[in-house]
Amino acid sequence: MKRALLIAAAFVAATVAQGQKIVIKGSDTLGAKLVPMLAEEYKAAHPGVNFEIAAEGSTTGIAAIIDSTAQIGMSSRRAKATEMSAAQAKGVTMKPTIVAFDGMAVIVHESSPVKSLTKRQVEQIFTGDITDWSAVGGTPGKISVYTRNTSSGTYSDFKDLAMKKRDYAPSAQKMAGNEQIAAEVAKNPNGVGYVGLAYINDPGIQVVAIDGALPTKEAVHDKKYAYARPTFFYTNGEPTGEAAKFIEFALSDEGQKVATKIGFVPVK
Amino acid sequence: MPVKRPPSGPSFLRNRSRFRFLGLTVDDMIRAFFGGNAIVSIVVLALITIFLFKEGYAFFGDNRRNLETYRQAGLEYVDYMRAQQQDHIALTRYLSDLRLRQFRHFTEVEGLSLAEANETLAAFDEFSGQFSDTVENLRGLVGDLTEHASAIKTQFLVNEDKRVQKSQLLAERLIEEAEQVRIDPVDFASGVKVLTGTLPYYRELNEEFAQSLRAVLEAAPAMPTPKLQARLERFAELVGQYIAGFPKVERRLETWDYEDPVPWWRAFTSFIFGREWLTASFWQDWYGIVPLLTGSLLVSFIALLFAIPMGVGAAIYINQMARPMEQKIIKPSIEFISAIPSVVLGFFGIAVLGQTLRAISGIEWLSWVPGFPFSERLNAFTAGCLLALIAVPTIFTLAEDAINNVPRAFKEASLALGATRLQTIGRIIVPASLSGIISAVLLGLGRVIGETMVVLLCAGNRIQIPDFTNGLAVFTEPVHTMTGIIAQEMGEVVRGGIHYRALFCVGIVLFFLSLLLNYMAQKLVHRFRLPAT
Repeated sequence: MKRALLIAAAFVAATVAQGQKIVIKGSDTLGAKLVPMLAEEYKAAHPGVNFEIAAEGSTTGIAAIIDSTAQIGMSSRRAKATEMSAAQAKGVTMKPTIVAFDGMAVIVHESSPVKSLTKRQVEQIFTGDITDWSAVGGTPGKISVYTRNTSSGTYSDFKDLAMKKRDYAPSAQKMAGNEQIAAEVAKNPNGVGYVGLAYINDPGIQVVAIDGALPTKEAVHDKKYAYARPTFFYTNGEPTGEAAKFIEFALSDEGQKVATKIGFVPVK
Repeated sequence: MPVKRPPSGPSFLRNRSRFRFLGLTVDDMIRAFFGGNAIVSIVVLALITIFLFKEGYAFFGDNRRNLETYRQAGLEYVDYMRAQQQDHIALTRYLSDLRLRQFRHFTEVEGLSLAEANETLAAFDEFSGQFSDTVENLRGLVGDLTEHASAIKTQFLVNEDKRVQKSQLLAERLIEEAEQVRIDPVDFASGVKVLTGTLPYYRELNEEFAQSLRAVLEAAPAMPTPKLQARLERFAELVGQYIAGFPKVERRLETWDYEDPVPWWRAFTSFIFGREWLTASFWQDWYGIVPLLTGSLLVSFIALLFAIPMGVGAAIYINQMARPMEQKIIKPSIEFISAIPSVVLGFFGIAVLGQTLRAISGIEWLSWVPGFPFSERLNAFTAGCLLALIAVPTIFTLAEDAINNVPRAFKEASLALGATRLQTIGRIIVPASLSGIISAVLLGLGRVIGETMVVLLCAGNRIQIPDFTNGLAVFTEPVHTMTGIIAQEMGEVVRGGIHYRALFCVGIVLFFLSLLLNYMAQKLVHRFRLPAT
């Protein structure tokens, strides 16, 4: 009996000694590489802090802040009007903090002769107006379009910036994340898709210049590259406690250096 | 004097004292435990069913409102014009296909270099450029009206949210805050008037459009071969038909009324027979289950195509023809397949199988197979192969049981009458166990239709009805399934919203499908059951 009580007490002590926990949910663009690396650096400096990171798409991040199931919501798009009013209805104030800038690079297979596209051609490819590569100067073949799925902020930002809010072609295949799109395009000579800047160095793909501009950091800062957008951390009101310290760390010089190393464009 | 004994049961039972707890003996407690477990299972099943239907049923009301808003905010009106624009784009695609054929002719048949071929095609490029330019005015009009209609709809949606907010504030008795929430009622009439007011301009535009199309057609360049010339003439025909369709569009626009009520059954039919599943759209969301249903059925069909011969064949072999040594090895191996987690199989599909199948499809001497070679490595065929692997253990185990249950007397009588082993198996044993085999197949089908992880990872995720006009090549197209869409989109939806409820409706369809399959399986077993010997 005494032993059972001792073991139970040890369990309770262990759970209490867990320390602070920060729950972060949301965008795959941020949550696949950037936020985990920032979390690692932060943990090294502040032991006793645990992170729970779930990257299933920007919509899940915003929904988590509205439902109060996360302290920080990562999002690669702004909250929509209906999401803002849903938050208001629940008494939640959505406060965005820009953490980095990201470009969306249009990628094709490395053997494709297409090196540059106009914005109109990109719109036509992704909405299905054009279905064959020969119409834009590539080797003849049916275009295979790979996009993210509907929970992704990149999905709706691309619709906004590149397709004039028109819907994707019904023949587009919806992949779960940036890495999967890069892998599929790398293996399909007829493939085209879009990924965040962190993935443009993956093997087997090449980046297409849009109206002559490649997605480099300078081009994004100078607004010469058309498909760039800010990425956000959403919190309920002003961030407090450990979450506030983490966001401060992300915006500090060390945090921005990590972002630059991965391939994002720092805020300054 | 002997003691009088009371006239009750045998003496050895009377004085037995049994341990009773709260009036129950140990036997009673065990009976209550098992019975209680059975009742709890039934109760949980009932709760799941009720919850599923409760959430899904509210979808139809939401969908009807969705379709009403589509009409009232004028989006339907703009979509009539947009359909006309889409048809023009289809004609442009025909032209670029024609260009490709000419290009091939020049480079392969006449042996021109790339640069020379492009030069010769300059006249044709000019022609197709002019053709695409004819639609500019229409595109501009559709663009403006799109913005206007979207604005009306967004205003309406924001008002709905504010209404919810107000009712929530009132529920918490925050009267002041509730008063501060201003809801400006949306005036659909004036919004729609702006749209319908463009009708005269649209009519003029149409006339100009028809004229410029005819003018461009007159200036069509000559084609190098008679076959290509025939295609150009077909193109001219199609343009003629397109122009002839303009009055129909105009009549639709004239007779459109934003106050036309949407009948209650439309919400239901647009779900069951809707051919488009489109969500998170800036324009209009469509919830039609046909693409997902055909995707599920196509993948299941491919899986059964492989799994039935393998599973039933293995069962017949193991039960009737294998030596004891083989039985000891093969049976556990097949049953081991069912122990592999489905996500591991899905990962195997992405990492290895998709690539391998695509490489195999590229082999020269296999190009007669319909659908080979294909370029997407995640498609219905890959998913079907993996699902077959999952279905085989189910079908094998149940079919083997069914064959085992055929009375030994049948086999012995057949052999005694002089039939060979193969004849006995083919004509006596398999027909006798047919009901069990069919029910095994149906249960395998039920397993396969409900499989999620494999199809989510390997089927390609294209939400479009597969193109059956290609014949058997439809097997190598990427598809999306009902289970896959629930898994993929469940994380994004706002609880209680229309999308959330639509996914529950997809779940209800799956539920009914599985119920139907299980019911048929049971009915078959009963119907063809052998009379008890």
